[in-house]
Amino acid sequence: MKPKADVQQGTLALMILKTLDVLGPLHGYGIARRIEQISENLLAVNQGTLYPVLLRLEQEGAIASEWGASENNRRARFYRLTRSGRELLKAETRDWEQTAAIIGRFFQAKAEDFS
Amino acid sequence: MRLLKRFFARLFNSAMRRRDDKRLQEEIAEHLTRQTADNLRAGLSPSEAQRQAVLKLGAIGSMREEYWSEQGLASLETFIRDLLFGWRSLRKSPGFTAVAVVTLALGIGANTAIFTMVDTLLLRPIPVQDPRELTFLVFPRDASHFDPAFSGPEFRQLREQTHDVFSEVNAMILGGLAGPTSRADGLTVDGVTRPAQTLFVSGEFFGMLGIRPFLGRFILPSEGSGPGGDPVVVLSYRYWKARFQGDPGILGKSAYVNGRLVTIVGIALKGFYGPTPLVDMEAYLPLNMMAVETGGNTAFLTADSTRDLVIVARLAPGVGIERANAVLGPLGQGLAKQYPRPGEGNVLLARPLRPPGLINGPNPLPALAGLFLTLAGLVFALACLNMANLSLVRAASRQREMAVRAALGGSRIRLVRHLLSETVLLCLFGTAAGVLAGSLALRAVSATTIVPDLPIVFEFPFNFRVFLYGLVIAALASAIVGVLPALRVSKGNLSNILHEGGRSSTGRSQRTRSVLVALQVASSLALLIVAGLFLRSLQSAQRADLGFDPSHVLNVALDPGEIGYSQVQSADFYRQLLTRTRALPGVQRASLAMNAPLGDNTPSNVITIPGRAQQRGEELHADFNRVSPEYFATMSIAILQGRDLLDSDTELSPRVAVINEAMAQRFWPGVDAIGQSFKRNGDAQHPIAIVGVVKNSRIEDIYSPIGPAFYVPLSQAYTSAQTLQVRTVASSQSLAPEVLSIVRELAPTAPILSVRTMADVVRNELFLFNLGARLTAALGLLGLTLAVVGIYGVMTYAIGQRTQEIGVRMALGAQRGTILWMVSRQGLVIVGTGLAIGLLLAIGVGRLVGDFLVGIGPTDPLTYATVSVLLSLIALAACYVPARRALQVEPTVALRYE
Repeated sequence: MKPKADVQQGTLALMILKTLDVLGPLHGYGIARRIEQISENLLAVNQGTLYPVLLRLEQEGAIASEWGASENNRRARFYRLTRSGRELLKAETRDWEQTAAIIGRFFQAKAEDFS
Repeated sequence: MRLLKRFFARLFNSAMRRRDDKRLQEEIAEHLTRQTADNLRAGLSPSEAQRQAVLKLGAIGSMREEYWSEQGLASLETFIRDLLFGWRSLRKSPGFTAVAVVTLALGIGANTAIFTMVDTLLLRPIPVQDPRELTFLVFPRDASHFDPAFSGPEFRQLREQTHDVFSEVNAMILGGLAGPTSRADGLTVDGVTRPAQTLFVSGEFFGMLGIRPFLGRFILPSEGSGPGGDPVVVLSYRYWKARFQGDPGILGKSAYVNGRLVTIVGIALKGFYGPTPLVDMEAYLPLNMMAVETGGNTAFLTADSTRDLVIVARLAPGVGIERANAVLGPLGQGLAKQYPRPGEGNVLLARPLRPPGLINGPNPLPALAGLFLTLAGLVFALACLNMANLSLVRAASRQREMAVRAALGGSRIRLVRHLLSETVLLCLFGTAAGVLAGSLALRAVSATTIVPDLPIVFEFPFNFRVFLYGLVIAALASAIVGVLPALRVSKGNLSNILHEGGRSSTGRSQRTRSVLVALQVASSLALLIVAGLFLRSLQSAQRADLGFDPSHVLNVALDPGEIGYSQVQSADFYRQLLTRTRALPGVQRASLAMNAPLGDNTPSNVITIPGRAQQRGEELHADFNRVSPEYFATMSIAILQGRDLLDSDTELSPRVAVINEAMAQRFWPGVDAIGQSFKRNGDAQHPIAIVGVVKNSRIEDIYSPIGPAFYVPLSQAYTSAQTLQVRTVASSQSLAPEVLSIVRELAPTAPILSVRTMADVVRNELFLFNLGARLTAALGLLGLTLAVVGIYGVMTYAIGQRTQEIGVRMALGAQRGTILWMVSRQGLVIVGTGLAIGLLLAIGVGRLVGDFLVGIGPTDPLTYATVSVLLSLIALAACYVPARRALQVEPTVALRYE
C-alpha cells in the first residue's frame, strides 16, 4: 500500500469549504466522511484535526455553526458556508488552480524548453 | 480583514476567559458515536468498532490543546499571567521594588529633562518647512568669527546671481539692542508703549520659510523694498498672548513703532520665534521699515558701505551646501572686489541656519550642551548600574528558587520570561514615576525667572521622544541584566545549587557586583566634583569685585525718541527729570547713562591715538559709554585722577572723556593720561581730551577681564535712549513709583523700557552660574544617592552571605576588630578603586567645564580633595553600617542559621 499523503496546512480548510459549498450545511463527522471518500482514502487525516480548523474558520467568519437535529434525531452542530466564506473559497480556488497550472507546466517542460 | 476578525474573536475569548471545552467534547462524542455506528455496519465487533473509531480520530489531548490555543490568544494570556506573577513577586519584596522604581525614575527623569533642554536649544530645527535647506551667508574672518552682514546692493546682486543654487534669497535685520543701531524699539498700542524685539524682513521671507500665520497675514512679497516703507507689523504669538491676552480684535488696529504709525496685520504661529529658537522676535516689520530705527535714513537699503543685512537663503531642491559654496566662491571674490571689505576674508560661504547659527564668535552652547549631556549620561549610567546591581543581587538570592523551578520542569525560556516580566513591570512603574520627575524638573527649570533685555525663550515642554529614548535604553539595560542570571541558573548544575543552600553566591557574580559598585562610586565622584566646581565658581562670581556698588540703585530705561522727541526736547526732558528726581526725599544721587553697567549691549569703539606708533592692521578697541555728570558718584566708582564730567561740558565746549584705569595703563603706560587725547573712529575732526581716570569697574559682564573703557558726556554725544540711575538711602524699589510718576508727568506717552534695581541686574548676570550650580548639584546629589544605595546594598548582601562564617570565627575567638576589618576590607577596596577611577573621570569631564568656570581652574585641588573626602566618608559609612550589624550577630544564632 502506498503511504498516505500528509495534508498540507491550509489545504484542509479549503477542502472543508468546498465540501460545505457542494453539500450545504453539514456536521463535523459528515465533513470528515466526505473528505475521506473523495480523497479515496489516500489522505491520512486524523479526523480530530478537523475541529480546530473548523473553529478557526468560524472565528474568521468564513463559516457559521449552530446546533441542530441530525437525520436520526441526534443533537449535532451543523456548519454552513457564509457569504464571506463563499468569496474566500472562490479566491482560494483561483489561487489553487493557478498554482497547480504553473506547477503542471513545469512538469511538462522538457529540456529544450529551458535552452 | 479575516485575520483581524479572527484576532478579535480570540482576544474576546481571552478577555472573557471563554473556553468552550464542552462544545468540543460534545462534538467529539457525537463524532465517535457516528463512526462506531458506521464501523458496526461494516461488520466489526462492537469493541473493535469503538477502538477503530478512537484510532481514526487521533490523539484527543493534542487536539484539545490545539483547539484551545486556537480559541484564545495563548501567548497573550501567558504574558498576562507572567505579569500578574511578576507583580506578586515584586510585592513580596517592596524594598527592592521601591529602590528600583526610584532609580529608574530619577535616571530617566533627569535625562529626559536635560535631553529636552539640549534638544530645544540646539538640535531641534526651527518650525518651518524643510529647515535643513535654510542657510545664511557669511564672509568668515576665521574659523569662529564671522560677520553675516551685507549691504543692500550686495543683497540684490547675490539674489540675482544665485538662482542656480538657491530657490529663494531674503534679507533680514535684527532690530533692537542687539541690532546695528543698538536701539530699543517700542510698540505703542492704545497710548501704551512697551518694548518689542523687532525683526525687519524682506517681502518673501515668510514665503521662503513656508509657514502660515496664526491670524491675519504675513508680510507680502510686495512689501519691504520700496523707499517709503510699508507700515505693517506682524506680532509673535507669544507677545500677542502676553501683551494682548490673545485678543483677535488687535488685527487691523493702528499702532506706533518708535512713533511711526503702522497697522497690525497678523499674528505669527505658535512656537515660531523667528530664525533662532532662543530669542523671541516679537514684531516683524518689512525690511524698509528699519527706517524707524535709523531716524528715516535708508542707507541700510541703498548704500554700498552700510552693511546691516543678514542674508538668509533656501537651497534649491537637490542642491547641497558644498555645491552652493562652489558657486558662491567666485561670486564672493567679485563682490569683495566691487565692494571692498577691509579686514575680512573674501571667501563667501553659506552656513546652515541651525539654532546657534547666527551667533558670532565661539559659540558656548555646544560645549555647554556637551557638558550637560555628559553629566546626564553619567547619571544615566549610574541608574543603569544600580538597576544591574539590584537585579544581580536579587537574582543571586533567588538562585535557589530558580533552581527549584528548573528542577520542577520550568523550561529555560519560561524562567527567562518570568524574570523579564518583572523587569517589564519595573520599567512601567519607573516610566510613570520618570514622567512625573522629568516634567517636574522641566517645570522647575522653565520657571526660573530671568528678566533680560532680550525676550529669551526659556520654555521646555516635556519631550516624549526623548523620554521614550531613555526608557528604551533603561529597559534594555535592565532586561539584559534580568535575563543573564536566569540563563546562568538554567545552565548550571541544579543539584549543586540546591545543595549549596543559597549560601554562597558564585564568585563571579560577586566580582561583577564589586566592579559595578566601583564604577558607581567613580561616576558619582565625577558628578560631585563637577557640581563642586560649579558651586565654587558661583561663589567666586558672587564675590567678584564689581568696581561699583549695586545696592540701593534703581535703573529706569527710557527713550522719548520713540514718541518722536527731537534732540532738544529729549535733552530738556532728561534735564527736568534729573532735577526733579534729585529733589525727591530719600534720593542721594541721580544720573543718566546710555548703558547701565552689565547691560546687554555694550558698544565698543575703535579709537586712534595721535602720535602713537601703530602697527599695521592693529586696531585699538575700547568700550564706551555716554553718561551725565555725577554718574561715577551714583555708581560709587572712585575717581582716581582728574575730574568728573561736568555740566560745563556742553555741546559747544571741547570734547572730553573720563577713562578707566585699564585704558590708562594700556595706552599711556607710565605716562600721566590726563591731558592726553584720542579720536573715535568716524569722528576724526573732534579729538577728545582726557580729563579724569576712574577705578576699573565691571561693564559688560562680571567675569571677563576688564578692558579699556571711556566715558563721554551725553551732552556731547546725544542718544535718546538713556537710563536714569538713582541711588537711594533706603530700598531702591520703593522709590520706583515716585520716579515713574515724574516721568509720566513730564512725558505721558514716553515709553518706559524697563525698571529694575541694579541688584536685580547683578542677580540676572549670575543667573547662568546659578543655573549651572543648581543643575550640577542636583545631578551630583542624584548620583551620590544612587551610589550610596549601591554600596550599601552590595555590602549588606555580601555580609549577609557570610553570617555563618562570622559566627564560626567569633565562636573560635576572633576579635571584633579583626572581623570588622575582614568584612569592610572588601568595601574599602571597592571604594578606593572607585575613587581612583572617578578622579581620572573628573579630570576628563573637567576639561569640558573649564570654559564655564570663573575664578577657579577645572582641576581646582580644593574641590577635588573636599569632594573625594566627603564621598569616601559617606561610602565608608555605607560600608560600616552593615559591618556593624554583622558584629552584633550571636555566634549561636549564626551557626543555627541554616
